[in-house]
Amino acid sequence: MSTVYEVFARKARGEPLRHIGWLTAPDDDLARVYAYQMYDEERWFDMWIAPRDRLLEVFNSDRNTALGR
Amino acid sequence: MATTVEAAGLTAAAREAVRDLILVLADSKRLLGMRYGQWILGAPELEAAIACAAMAQDEWGHARQFYALLKDFGEDVSALEHGRESHQYASMEALDAEPEDWFGLIALNALADTALSVQCEALRGSSYMPLAQRVEKLLDEERFHGAHGVAWFNRLARSGGAAAEAMAVAAEAALPGILQWFGPDSERAKLVVEAGVVDAAGSALRERYLERIGGLLDELGARGAALRSHTPSFDGFDEARRRVSTTGPDAETVARIRGDKNRMFLVD
Repeated sequence: MSTVYEVFARKARGEPLRHIGWLTAPDDDLARVYAYQMYDEERWFDMWIAPRDRLLEVFNSDRNTALGR
Repeated sequence: MATTVEAAGLTAAAREAVRDLILVLADSKRLLGMRYGQWILGAPELEAAIACAAMAQDEWGHARQFYALLKDFGEDVSALEHGRESHQYASMEALDAEPEDWFGLIALNALADTALSVQCEALRGSSYMPLAQRVEKLLDEERFHGAHGVAWFNRLARSGGAAAEAMAVAAEAALPGILQWFGPDSERAKLVVEAGVVDAAGSALRERYLERIGGLLDELGARGAALRSHTPSFDGFDEARRRVSTTGPDAETVARIRGDKNRMFLVD
C-alpha cells in the first residue's frame, strides 16, 4: 500500500531539475511532507516528487531498448 | 514599532503578560520537541521517523529563539533553559507526558502543534517587534508540521476499525486541554490585544483554532462535533503558565532537558 516516489530539486531558478533521492509513502500528501523533511539539508529553490511507476523509460543504451521495449 | 522592551512603551502589566507568553511558547516548543524526539525510534515507518527528527529539531530551534528573547526582560536565559524544576515550566498540559502510542503523538502533532502555530500567527503584526520578526520564518517551517499532522490524522481516522477508534480516543484526550490552553476572555487577554502584542486572545483565538482543525474534527463524525462544542472550564486556571495543573512535565524529560547526566561536561 506504500508507493515509491522519486524526488527532484534544483538549487536556483533556471537550473535543470536534479534527481536527489526517493522515499516511500502511503499517499501524495505524506510523500510531499516526507520529501521536504528528508531532503532539506540543502537550500533548494524548488522540489518535486513523482511516483516511480509513473516514470516512463524512453530508451536505455545498456539494454539496447527503445520506447520501453 | 519598537525593538526593545523599554522602547516598546508597554505598561508594566503588558510587559509581564508578554514575558509570560514568550515563556509559554518557549517551554511548550521545547517540550513538543522532546515528544517528537522520543518517537523517532517508535515511528511506524522510516520516513515518519525522519519527520519526527526534523520536527524535533525545528521545535528546539524555535524554543531557543523564544528563550533568547527573555534576556530583554532581565531573565537569566541559561537558568531558564537548564535550571528549572518541572513545576516551574509553563508548557502546555497536553505535553506533560510522553505519548503512549503513535496515535497520541499524532494528536499532539495535529492538534497541539497547530494550537502553538495559531498562537504564533496572532503575533505576526505584533507591536513588540522582536516577536513579529521571529514568527514569520518559524511559521514557514510549521506549515510542514501541520501537513504531517493532518496527513497522518486523516490516514488513521479514515482507516476504519481499531486505528480510527484509537485516533478518536487520542484526539478526545488531547483536545479539551488544548482548548482550555487558549485561556479565558480576561483582563489580561484584553490587555495584550489592546497593546497590539497579539491580534486576538482567549475565545477569539480559540475560535480561529477550531476553524483551523475543523476538517480533522469532521473526520471524527459525531465525536468530532462533540469536541467542537466543548466549553472549557477555567476553574483554577493560572493565566501566567496557562495551566490548571500545578505540576509540570514528567521528571525524566525535565532531567533530560536540564542535561543532568551531562552536567559535568558543561562549559560556559
